[in-house]
Amino acid sequence: MNRLTTFLLAFALPFLAGAQEHFVFSPQSNAQAQFAGYYAALEKGFYAEEGLDVEILHPFATSYALDNIREGNCQAITLPLTLAMRTIATDIPLVNILQTSMNSATVIISRWGDDPLTLHGAKVTAFRAGFGQSARSFAEMLGLDYEWITSASEVNLFIAGAVDATLGRSFDEYYRILQTGIDIPEKAIYRFEKGEFNIQQEGVYVTREYYETHKEQAEAFARASRRGWEWVAENREAALDIVMRYTKELHVATNRTLQQLMLEEVLRLQLDPDSGQRSFQIRPDMVEKANQILLQAGVLTKDPVKMEDIRP
Amino acid sequence: MRRILDKIRRSLSARLSIWVVLFSAIILLGTLGYSAHVSRNYVRMEAIKRASQVLDNSVLRLANILEDVELAANNLEWLVYRNLETPERMADYTRSIVEGTPSLSGCSISFEPDYYPGQRYYSIYSGRVEDDSITTIQEGNDNYQYWYLGWYQLPKLLRQPCWTEPYSDWEQDDAADLQTQMLVSYCKPLTAGDGSYIGTISLDISLKWLSETLASVQPYPHSYVVLVSRGGTYLVHPDPDKLFYETVFTPTLTGQEPALEALGRSMVGLEEGIRTLEIDGQKSYVFYTPLKSTGWSMGIVCPERDIFGGFKRLRRLVIGLGLLGLLLMFLVCFRVIRKTLRPLSNLAVQAGNIADGHFDTALPETPREDEIGTLTRSFSHMQSSLVSYIDELQRTTAKRERIEGELQVARNIQQGLIPRTFPTRADIDLYGEMIPAKEVGGDLYDFFLQNGRLYFCIGDVSGKGVPASLLMAMTRTVFRVAVQKAPAVTDIARELNEALSADNEQLMFVTMFLGVIDLKTGEMNYCNCGHNPPAVLHADGKASFVEGEPNVPLGVEPAYVFRGGVVHDVRGIPFLIYTDGLNEAENADHEPFGNDRLLEVMGSAPYQDAAEMIVRLNEAVKAHVAGAEASDDLTMMCIRIRKP
Repeated sequence: MNRLTTFLLAFALPFLAGAQEHFVFSPQSNAQAQFAGYYAALEKGFYAEEGLDVEILHPFATSYALDNIREGNCQAITLPLTLAMRTIATDIPLVNILQTSMNSATVIISRWGDDPLTLHGAKVTAFRAGFGQSARSFAEMLGLDYEWITSASEVNLFIAGAVDATLGRSFDEYYRILQTGIDIPEKAIYRFEKGEFNIQQEGVYVTREYYETHKEQAEAFARASRRGWEWVAENREAALDIVMRYTKELHVATNRTLQQLMLEEVLRLQLDPDSGQRSFQIRPDMVEKANQILLQAGVLTKDPVKMEDIRP
Repeated sequence: MRRILDKIRRSLSARLSIWVVLFSAIILLGTLGYSAHVSRNYVRMEAIKRASQVLDNSVLRLANILEDVELAANNLEWLVYRNLETPERMADYTRSIVEGTPSLSGCSISFEPDYYPGQRYYSIYSGRVEDDSITTIQEGNDNYQYWYLGWYQLPKLLRQPCWTEPYSDWEQDDAADLQTQMLVSYCKPLTAGDGSYIGTISLDISLKWLSETLASVQPYPHSYVVLVSRGGTYLVHPDPDKLFYETVFTPTLTGQEPALEALGRSMVGLEEGIRTLEIDGQKSYVFYTPLKSTGWSMGIVCPERDIFGGFKRLRRLVIGLGLLGLLLMFLVCFRVIRKTLRPLSNLAVQAGNIADGHFDTALPETPREDEIGTLTRSFSHMQSSLVSYIDELQRTTAKRERIEGELQVARNIQQGLIPRTFPTRADIDLYGEMIPAKEVGGDLYDFFLQNGRLYFCIGDVSGKGVPASLLMAMTRTVFRVAVQKAPAVTDIARELNEALSADNEQLMFVTMFLGVIDLKTGEMNYCNCGHNPPAVLHADGKASFVEGEPNVPLGVEPAYVFRGGVVHDVRGIPFLIYTDGLNEAENADHEPFGNDRLLEVMGSAPYQDAAEMIVRLNEAVKAHVAGAEASDDLTMMCIRIRKP
């Protein structure tokens, strides 16, 4: 986009806003670099260029983004693939319109330095908003009788030693724990990315009903979001500035260092493990793995979720 | 710069002053350095003492605050247990606890979901708002499921009272004025008699309030208090961007900060200590101590410039004063030394004048008895001695110049005795030269024509200088007279011998070769009186000596009968007669010119005339002696009689 176009858009957008489609997007947790691509798309006018008046609605710490879409408070949410598949199979028909993560960020971190996969009967915290679905299923599959402690403050419980391990993400909780000065040896971390069940996580979902009635808007949102992520990958410092504005406005307990590390890791996880490219596509082999783990854990009781059920 | 160095080099006063100042500076610096070291240690110990006191006071103050909170929590717990059956009274309890505990920003009593039948959420919260009034709300709802939050879960999991990590209670969207609160809470578990969990009591302290309360403690102007939680999060920090948002370990995530990391580990490890490290670009001391009941650690950060600011200012002042003192010392030393040495300077100037020839320059009178006075008097004595010596020298020089003048006259006279005009007749080719070694010489040569005959002689008087020259003059006169009296060469020799032997008390003598040539016949009669044999240049270009009848030198033996020799025809044969100043002329290595070389030079080129032969020999001698001083007179004469 050249400067003239940007200039005209800056003036024209306020007048055009009335004519744009209001579109509410609810990421699955609080403001952070995990959602930098959406903030950038909004800030840089990519959504407006697609004719969308996007509002980003962060959920509360103890509420689900899924609830927002279920209750009609938003048109799109982000969800990890396994949770999305469970939701599609058991709850609401959702449609993936953009897949941002190509790898699993999920980690299990042991508080006392032991291998997490040897902690039978341990108290393990899991974030309530749902990225732990694959881990829970994986633990079920391995027969690890974890006592799951659902929490919105899993790192604090971990620091206080109130739990034996915590589920986390390599771009978030992992760094937040490191930031407390707790020494975490590598053997105390189980990284799903390195294991058998490296399953894609974050993707953007709309309800099937919305997709069928507002296909253009849904795909416009996906296009602009993808553009936002590509811009972030090329303009990391500027993207970080945008992220920090959001975190400050919402009083998120974070800092630029944490967000910088998070952004780098999120962008790394967006690279396809085989091609090394940012493809933004769901991989059928990962869907198959997700089905396998969900079926074995008993989360899916009937048929596996088909690819066309996720991505029309 | 070079000019200044030159001035210093030329000024004894400046050099002495510099040495004095340098030595003083070394002593001063050593003293200052030692006292600075001792003072710095003292200041450091004082700082440690002061900071430790402030830290202890701050810890005590914080402990009092926390104790109040824990006491309030115990009271609330007691009330809750006594009134579990009347939940509607919980609001009064939370409000009264907040009212009665100024350090609290809020207080809540929260129960497990559905603890009270038909009420999934039961969490009563009372909190202060901006105007310090207290608002009470029921804060549980679908968006705020409090039992998933850390402050609720922590005592539930630990089953004991505990302090939480700091958190932001921003979810309370129905209490907008509370949304930005950053809190830390003291939480107590509520359990039933069967051990089942009932709920959590939470008493909150605002981090902002805590920071403001403890920030007033400042042992130094730029020092500040920090309080870090069990997880290293700043519970108290003057920088709002760090308070709650960062931990002490945050900078270590992306950079190498070993000192900060070590400090953080020591603090969260609940150790007590003092560390120095760079914080925000300036070296700082951190004094820290734990609050073990909470798992927190309190520290005071004191920039080094604060602790040592006064000391450094004093040090700069002392160094400044020291430098000023050294400068003054230099000026005073310079002035005193220059005044002390001024007679020396004057003496140096007067000595310069004397050296320039002004021997009458008056030296300053000095009453001083020290080395300078002694030197001045000695110099004065030296001046008078010098003047006497110079006068004597002048007289001697004048005398010598007069003698030299007289000698020059004598030389002229002697040279006048030697014939300088040579025959221009076609049948006579004759040339001679005498070079005395001193002003006057003892050599002679002479020739003259009389009655178709050429009379000639060459002689060498024993000794040198004036006596020899006088005898030479007399010999030449006697030769001329003797020729008139006795034309035969042996008779002439006898006449000369008689004249020179008479009254010869000095035992001087003369060697002489004398001869006469009949120009018509070419016959030559000669008599060699103890002299060098003549050298003859033959027609084949080779030269040789002609040994004749030997005789004693003239003046040695009176009545000696001289024997002569004859050459029947010398016409066309060049021959050389000479004194030993030729063949014995020495170079610097005392090597004589030699007879062989004499003959060699004579035959070295075709004969042109007598003058050319003399010139050639002269140049050869000059080349041989190569500038060495002549030790003897050099006299040569070459004769060739041409046939008609």
